[in-house]
Amino acid sequence: MLRLTRRGLGALALAAGVAASLPAKAADDIVLGGSIPMTGVFAFAGIGIQAGITDYLKIVNDAGGIKGRKVRFAFEDTAYKVDASVAVFNKIVAQDKPNLYYGDSTAFSKTINPELERNGTMLMAGASFATELNDPKKYPLQFMAGPDYTEMFGILLRYIAKEKPGAKVAFVNSDTEFGRDPIATSEKKAAELGLKVVEKIVTPPGSVDVSTEVLKLRRAAPDYTIFHGYVMAPIPEFIAQAKQMGMTSKFMGTFWSMDNSMVQKMGELADGFMGVMPYRYYYDDEGNAPMLAKIREMRQEYQSTPYLQGFLTAMLMVEATKRTLESGQELTGKNLKAALNSIKDFDTGGIIGVPISVPGNSIPVGRIYKADVKKKLMVPASDWIKLEQ
Amino acid sequence: MDFDWLLLFEVSLAGLGTGGLYALTALAFVVIYKATRVVNLAIGEILMLGAYAFFGFAASMALPWWAAALGALAVAGVFGAVVERLVIRPMLGESPISVFMVTVGLGSMLVGVVELIWTADPHRLPEFMPNTPIFIGEAFLAPKIGYGFLVAAVVIAAFVLAFRYWRGGVALRATASDQAAAYSMGINVPGVFSLAWVIACMVAAGAGILVGSIGGISSTMGVFGLSVLVVVIVGGLDSVPGALVGGLFIGLVEALAGSYLGGEFKLLATFTLLVAVLMVRPYGLFGTREIERL
Amino acid sequence: MRIASAKQTYAADEALFDSAAQRGWFAVLLLALVLFPFAANQYWAYLACLALINVISATGLNILTGYTGLVSLGQAAFMGVGAYTVAVLEARLGTPFLLNLLAGGALAAAVGMVVGIPSLRVKGLYLAIATIAASIILHFVFANWTAVTKGVSGINVPPARVLGIDLDTPFKLYWVIMPLAVLMLLGAANLFRTRIGRAFIAIRDRDISAEVLGIPLLRTKLMSFALSSFYAGVAGGLWAYFFRVVTPESFPLIMSIFFLAAIIVGGMGTILGAILGAVFMTLVPELLKLGVGLVSPFWPNAAVVLSPVRTVVFGGLIVGFLIFEPQGLAEMWRRTRRFFHLWPFKT
Repeated sequence: MLRLTRRGLGALALAAGVAASLPAKAADDIVLGGSIPMTGVFAFAGIGIQAGITDYLKIVNDAGGIKGRKVRFAFEDTAYKVDASVAVFNKIVAQDKPNLYYGDSTAFSKTINPELERNGTMLMAGASFATELNDPKKYPLQFMAGPDYTEMFGILLRYIAKEKPGAKVAFVNSDTEFGRDPIATSEKKAAELGLKVVEKIVTPPGSVDVSTEVLKLRRAAPDYTIFHGYVMAPIPEFIAQAKQMGMTSKFMGTFWSMDNSMVQKMGELADGFMGVMPYRYYYDDEGNAPMLAKIREMRQEYQSTPYLQGFLTAMLMVEATKRTLESGQELTGKNLKAALNSIKDFDTGGIIGVPISVPGNSIPVGRIYKADVKKKLMVPASDWIKLEQ
Repeated sequence: MDFDWLLLFEVSLAGLGTGGLYALTALAFVVIYKATRVVNLAIGEILMLGAYAFFGFAASMALPWWAAALGALAVAGVFGAVVERLVIRPMLGESPISVFMVTVGLGSMLVGVVELIWTADPHRLPEFMPNTPIFIGEAFLAPKIGYGFLVAAVVIAAFVLAFRYWRGGVALRATASDQAAAYSMGINVPGVFSLAWVIACMVAAGAGILVGSIGGISSTMGVFGLSVLVVVIVGGLDSVPGALVGGLFIGLVEALAGSYLGGEFKLLATFTLLVAVLMVRPYGLFGTREIERL
Repeated sequence: MRIASAKQTYAADEALFDSAAQRGWFAVLLLALVLFPFAANQYWAYLACLALINVISATGLNILTGYTGLVSLGQAAFMGVGAYTVAVLEARLGTPFLLNLLAGGALAAAVGMVVGIPSLRVKGLYLAIATIAASIILHFVFANWTAVTKGVSGINVPPARVLGIDLDTPFKLYWVIMPLAVLMLLGAANLFRTRIGRAFIAIRDRDISAEVLGIPLLRTKLMSFALSSFYAGVAGGLWAYFFRVVTPESFPLIMSIFFLAAIIVGGMGTILGAILGAVFMTLVPELLKLGVGLVSPFWPNAAVVLSPVRTVVFGGLIVGFLIFEPQGLAEMWRRTRRFFHLWPFKT
């Protein structure tokens, strides 16, 4: 009974040895590690994020790196599973000693936070815009390249309050951590803005049949319906049935349901679908946007919104690293975060339409976009909206 | 404020509409159980396979929807035959738990294969059902749910008739009630097994097309099978009427719980019901009680 | 080479280790377990801890499913009970580490017994489905009993403290998890040398006969549920200390299926089976990743198919083992061992 286990351990030790003896890369490379969901349910985002980070680092390295030091992206697939993400984190930390890290989910960001603080050498950002993470006291070494979910709702509500004061609003969210995140806080926010939250609907995760929920929504007769916690399904079915019933509500989404190719999959139903986006779209060639032009030059085909998220995250990380190195400090998590927070009225090269600052853990800026079915594009419906901190 | 009777009526209609789809899928489940005594946990994944096959034919190969639907049914039928022959038959005689776990494994493999071919991104099926809303009196019924229910009802009716009068159906019932006797009467029992799997997989695939056309398809749509599991346990694993009544009933309960308590209560309500039924009638409302002897 | 081992007493026949050689190998194994973390980096220490936690939980499930014949798809939910207990105790009260783990195990055992009550009336698959119901209901409680569980955002767990040291790395936690795992495995192995353990086996083989033989069915079945859930609870508690955050989404149904798969692949109804199965199933995804790394120079898109391939392999392992090797890895191991017993003379 005992020998195989021992042999298994031998294999473990052997594999560990192999892993350890992998050729070390140039010692002064700065490493950006990543737990990236290249496969699984969140793959569409992971693939975009990976491409975005890779492209930005290529731009940086082609321009000579940060103070002559190259930035290397070391990532592995997580399939959007927390234990796999943590495994990847441990592996990359052990092998590559990263100073920057990209995590793939709220659960991961929360799980890894104690280790991040203990380790103390990394600044982390990720695919999560969870409200809870936007707390510099609890999560001192993390940030997000955009508004958190509550702030996204805040931007939407601000827009609604301006368009139609006193409007009736309904929230529809999935029964997941992601879905429930901004609901309670946003209800208060809506009241402050003089809006009425007439209905809050929760759908079980993975549910496809929403006919009973739509019936409830129709009774509430909202002017605006905000979806949160979905990538696509069941938003199209909601809209389809609501339109069939003759509802006049406008429908809105948050960042993860705003990718142009996803929205346009809805076809005719997408007409008038709105939502909050912290970034400009790939095809947006208005005004001065050198970075977007560069992206279009590097990649001819449409790039998703997660691509832009990854791109901007890498840009902010590199900027923080540059500022830390320029002030002659060591690359520790604390110094990196301080450098990040020193970013003020920073020009993102057009990724975000206005200069940004990162006073805390988030960038509370966004703009409302609206689907134009004829052009098959999301087009701006408002100016940039900045929330005060 | 007055109680909104219209809402109750509309919600009930919607619930019964979904219940029709549950009943259809539960039928597939029961057919397999009756013939081969296999609790098929992969039924939700087979449903998904049907929906994806339809998607593949209709969207990628641009076939008209009826041809795509036939193609999807054919794919599911072939799948059923192959699985029965290669996986289920070698397992006959093993403990029911092993067979049950085999179907769990099959389900996992199906999810993986579907993700390999179509990736894990959600898709929408091409629209093929009429889009004009249905009003019953003043009550609104979503057209897809309504037509889905109609199709389900027609298929179920066809099935019940086939069970009753068709030779194959009779053979199936005979095998279910006494395998040895069926053998000795010259019924090709292995053939019946194959037939049951083929038919059940086709029914499940048909249900999958309906479910997918309502809410879009994704590789996680197999969770639909979880509700179907409740249906068959509540109705009785080996009872066709149980599957039908159970399906409508569970659909109704889910809809009512969802609209009056909140979406997060849907699964809770049905599974609490399941526990209650198990405690009172462990063999389900319409199931056959099995007597154990030493 | 060994021809046979003659035994003169029942005690000798039942002994955990029947020869000096086995005891020797066991000592070697323990030594290897002690030396392992010094040779391993953070990644392998992490995997070792995860595998050991899974071994504990799989052993628990094996007591219930492999030895008593009651299928359960609620193991992950029981782990959740343990994890939440530990999280609440540690975060709110800061009670000592071992006490929390025990409390987690005890509460999980209590919940397990409640879930086991239908087992008197329903059997086999109906029972399996009743345990699915239990895990759905428990998930609902985790997600909605906000006062205790903090709802969907979950509880952050401070690190375990032992003798004034914060156990905040896999390397440090290993020294708690490993001895506990060894202890609990020895406990399980010894259980089946007692009357209770043999009663479990009797129920598995034929519960009606067991009752005729004078084994109180309900009590014994509940005891099996309780023991199994206790293991799950302790494993869940360790899980909480290991991942440091507990959310309702941490313990999905698929995790219960994972444990069932682990004991099927390892071999139901053997202690070794749960160990081999849990370690193997924990390492499979990492091995696949290694494989992808190896083929990626020739096939650059390999990484994209990793997750679906993992799902297929997971299902394929269950199906394949059930059809071709129903006794699992443990049987394969026994065969190998038998081969070496007679080695030079019979090949």
